[in-house]
Amino acid sequence: MQQKVIIAKNLYYTYETGNKRVEALKGVDFSVDNGEIFGFIGPNGAGKTTTIKLLLGILISKNGELAIFDKSPSNSNTRQTVGYMPEIANYYRYLTPVELLIMYGNIFGIDKDLLHKRIKILLELVDLEEVANRLMRTFSKGMMQKVSFAQALINDPDLLILDEPTGGLDPVSRKRMRGVIQDLKEKGKTIFFSSHELSEVELVSDRIGILHKGQLLAVGSAKDLLGEKEEGQSLESYFLKMIEERV
Amino acid sequence: MRAVWAIAYGMVKELVRKKDFYVLVIFMFVLLGFLSYQNFFQVKGISRYVRDFGYSLLMFFSFTIAVTFTAKQLPSEIESKTIYPLLAKPLSRHMVIFGKFCGGVMISTISFTIFYAIFTGFYMTGGGKSLVLLGQGFIFGVLFLCMVSALVMFFSNFITMSANVTFIFLLYLTIRGFSDFLRGIILFSKGIVATLYGILYCLLPHLEFFDLRIRITHAWDPLPMWVVFTVVGYTVLYCCMLLSLAGYIFERKRL
Repeated sequence: MQQKVIIAKNLYYTYETGNKRVEALKGVDFSVDNGEIFGFIGPNGAGKTTTIKLLLGILISKNGELAIFDKSPSNSNTRQTVGYMPEIANYYRYLTPVELLIMYGNIFGIDKDLLHKRIKILLELVDLEEVANRLMRTFSKGMMQKVSFAQALINDPDLLILDEPTGGLDPVSRKRMRGVIQDLKEKGKTIFFSSHELSEVELVSDRIGILHKGQLLAVGSAKDLLGEKEEGQSLESYFLKMIEERV
Repeated sequence: MRAVWAIAYGMVKELVRKKDFYVLVIFMFVLLGFLSYQNFFQVKGISRYVRDFGYSLLMFFSFTIAVTFTAKQLPSEIESKTIYPLLAKPLSRHMVIFGKFCGGVMISTISFTIFYAIFTGFYMTGGGKSLVLLGQGFIFGVLFLCMVSALVMFFSNFITMSANVTFIFLLYLTIRGFSDFLRGIILFSKGIVATLYGILYCLLPHLEFFDLRIRITHAWDPLPMWVVFTVVGYTVLYCCMLLSLAGYIFERKRL
């Protein structure tokens, strides 16, 4: 039996601002197997980022169950084997990529020699070795996105959580990142990622979860979801149809 | 501890790469140099004024650096969303608070040490002799900056950076101005009023405890060691209390 890396059962989350209550998640159930690429798609405000924040222990759900590697996400040790790339790639602009990676590597407690080797490999991987010692305040959005990807891999994570990983990247970098994600899968890593780029999700994901207004509408492989598709139907048209039906 | 050090070190890098700090160092050097130059005219007791002004200036500059750098840490992390990748690492929010506090203390201590070295140069050439007192002044200065950084970290949970800076400046001035007055009230009042004022007095952060300006200016005797240790104990206790509360509140803050 496949080991479950993420288990979410009947997950609820409500934002309260003054007298206003917004239900961001309404009983979300899903699981992610070890070594799987799980794509999470949904329109703006569907609850994707809330789910990711819950997975990282940044938010705590009072209802439902959530476990990563059978441990609670609120336990900081759980995050020792988790890498996270946020949607908005914003980092300390007065640091260089190398300094940022050293800082994060030290937080993970990575051995100094190993850390320096890993930094070199990661900067080559994201094609930033030439600007490795340049202050990040001079970086473009795409370059920051690459730094963001590198920092998510600094601890050689078993679970990688990517929030809109290809936003701001040019087509070449996007293709390269897809390749890296596939390589990571081949190494047995589990990847959970959210994206608006439906074609991207379709290309790399083993399974896809469609989230809308805090509810998971469908989970399955692209093949399963589009099983009875008519000719020319894509994930995008399936997604739009599903959302429209709900509206 | 490596994680805490990593966060603090990031803040030191920021100080080194920003111009504000260098401007203050140059300003301090120029002002003290100018004041010492007046000594050539043999104005009676001018070195005392130089010591007084120099000490006040270095405390003010270090205080300003401690407050402004520490106050912006949490709000800017939240605003720029750099807090998310940080919290996705294996560290608790208490550690984030402690790391930022250590960074604030390191930054202000580095600045204070440089300002103090400049001041010591002028102090020694101006006829000051007591190195023990100077050493005590340094220790008290660092303790003062620890208190200020802990206070700023605590209030970072509730108010914006600019409000925090203003509040801490006002708090400092109020405590400097009114703690003697409050002590007097406690001494001369009785019963419940004395108890209430006593509680208020104990809760207030006594930033005036760390001020050795008059002692240094007039070259009085150094403080007895038990006073130094008591102030160290007071600082450790007060900072632990503030940081624990700050961590507790930050842990519950929705980000």
